[in-house]
Amino acid sequence: MFERVLIANRGEIALRILRACRTLGIGAVLAYSEADRDSLAAQLADEAICIGPADARRSYLSASALISAAIVTGCDAIHPGYGFLSEDAGFAEAVAAHGLAFVGPSAEVLERFASKEGTRRLLAAHGLPTIPGSDGLLRDDEHALAEAERIGYPVLVKPSAGGGGKGMRMVRTPRELQAALRVCRSEARAAFGDDSLYLERWLEENRHVEVQVVVDRYGHGVHLGERDCSVQRRHQKLIEEAPTPALPEAARAELAERAIRAVVAAGYENLGTLEFLVDRDQGFYFIEINCRIQVEHPVTELLTGIDMVATQLRIAAGEPLGFSQADVDFRGHAIEFRINAEDVAHDFRPQAGTVERFWAPGGPGVRLDSHLYAGYEVPPYYDSLLGKLIVWGPDRPSAIARGRAALDELVVDGIITNRAFHRAVLDNPAFVEGRVTTSLIDRVGGAAFLAPRS
Amino acid sequence: MTDRDDAPERTPEERRADHAAIDRLADELLPALVAKLGASGLGELAVREGRWRVRLRMPGDGRAARRPASPGRSTSRLEGRAAAVGQPGPLPGGQPLPPAVAPASPGPATPAGSATPAGATARAAGHAGSEGTTGAADPGSSPTRVVATSPAVGFFQPRARLAAGARVRAGDPIGAIDVLGVPHEVVAPTDGIVGATVVAPGDPVEYGQPLLEIELLAPAPAPAAGTARAAEGA
Repeated sequence: MFERVLIANRGEIALRILRACRTLGIGAVLAYSEADRDSLAAQLADEAICIGPADARRSYLSASALISAAIVTGCDAIHPGYGFLSEDAGFAEAVAAHGLAFVGPSAEVLERFASKEGTRRLLAAHGLPTIPGSDGLLRDDEHALAEAERIGYPVLVKPSAGGGGKGMRMVRTPRELQAALRVCRSEARAAFGDDSLYLERWLEENRHVEVQVVVDRYGHGVHLGERDCSVQRRHQKLIEEAPTPALPEAARAELAERAIRAVVAAGYENLGTLEFLVDRDQGFYFIEINCRIQVEHPVTELLTGIDMVATQLRIAAGEPLGFSQADVDFRGHAIEFRINAEDVAHDFRPQAGTVERFWAPGGPGVRLDSHLYAGYEVPPYYDSLLGKLIVWGPDRPSAIARGRAALDELVVDGIITNRAFHRAVLDNPAFVEGRVTTSLIDRVGGAAFLAPRS
Repeated sequence: MTDRDDAPERTPEERRADHAAIDRLADELLPALVAKLGASGLGELAVREGRWRVRLRMPGDGRAARRPASPGRSTSRLEGRAAAVGQPGPLPGGQPLPPAVAPASPGPATPAGSATPAGATARAAGHAGSEGTTGAADPGSSPTRVVATSPAVGFFQPRARLAAGARVRAGDPIGAIDVLGVPHEVVAPTDGIVGATVVAPGDPVEYGQPLLEIELLAPAPAPAAGTARAAEGA
């Protein structure tokens, strides 16, 4: 096992990695930007080292700053968290070249799964159904128009690199497609430095269901079930839960088993998530793989009792997984709410400011992963995630009841959050009945959820 | 503490007179002394001026060479204070700091055991920890000197043959940070005289960490705080 790990991230995930290191008895060094000097993780870590200015390109996205920080502080591994450099094959390779371990898949594996389009083909060859889409990457507008015609409108324009909804558009006509190609190319280039796009058929009324897999270096893999992330706004997940209300138990088991078989066969390693769209008829289609820890991993932790970040560290250190599929038990129902610094009433506008008061909810089945504290200044430079409230109950109704109570207890003063939005979703019939599709919030508008209900 | 110049024992007139004296000392006497100390290789220098005594000490006492291998929340804080000016008399609530300038003759009555010069000391050293951005200068900078900080995470090497007392111009290379074998140049943040080196050659440093002090040449025309702000913006 490692002796000392550099945490190359910030916010709640930096804290989460720190906690995993502590339970494994590993030293934890936090790499922070000047904007995060006073962060909770910087205060709790065994050591903290400033790697650059607030601008992420010169701090959290700077491979040389992070690797140099690991060397200077005597670390033997780097945990990239999510976002930033977590899925960057070049970074993983540079980390290894300096004699350090990258906590994630090897550079070679990241490379193999880097292109979404390439991954779709690879996993389709290993038995996963994929959404009908364009024949490879779009060469030009003409090719795009011809392919869209063949697939059938509406189609989704997607960038081959990256994620998070950037550079992604649904279009219903050739005219919309032509306009979207320009926008998506420039968005993808700005966000990922790669403007290659492809098309997929748009599935109406779909749900987002993903399968968590964990594979050690010796080809031994298990799945940790699925999560439903259908409560989204502009492809940004807001609420995640497991098990998915969209599929009966037999279908869920089949989905998870096919996913783990395919990735093991394709040579995947470490933690990963396979995202699927599930349509009205319970058909499922593979869309992409995330080669890192996910924001919503606690949902799976509450269901299985497995510390996923610790597992990730153990696998990266070369340990065998140590448990088999039969050892994994799924108990009850868990729901995660992403607490964001966003003003839902004003189009989810991101907020920054100082937290004046912070009260964390508690009680049975309530977990809060957050880096907030009273007096903490939320910097304006990074994403708006303030923390995650995760609730567990023996069944879905009891998890929802605990979610309502916990959200009512949560107090964050001094900065506007989306707490009230989550609370409203828990009273929304579509959510309570498990019928939410990925387009619901974009169609209805977030503010509609906040309107007083009669 | 910076603004707590309101010791009850002193009248506003006395306070103004003290401030004027401190300003004069800081502007006229200190730069020359700092240059002298830097050039002399001495560890400490003390002179008497009227009822004020000025003492300068090189921060070469081990506190200054900070290694990031120590807990980082202190790694980022600078302690090296080459020059400081104290004001006579106690300040309520002020933390004891090593006196650097103190009245040579007993000034106003000082309660036993609480000789806590602060005031101007805090002003001289109180700009530490502001948001240094360019790696030019910041923490620990004072009206009389600017601290060059590290532009990167790595190992510090001062420029060869760069001795304390040497004159440098803003932008002159004064050393380099080795980042994974690639040198990142450190330049002088201001015109001045090379003063104390805060970290030892070959030491690991973090981004923004103070490396080297540059003592200002001319007395600053603006008030002390203004000078320091200008230096921060450099």
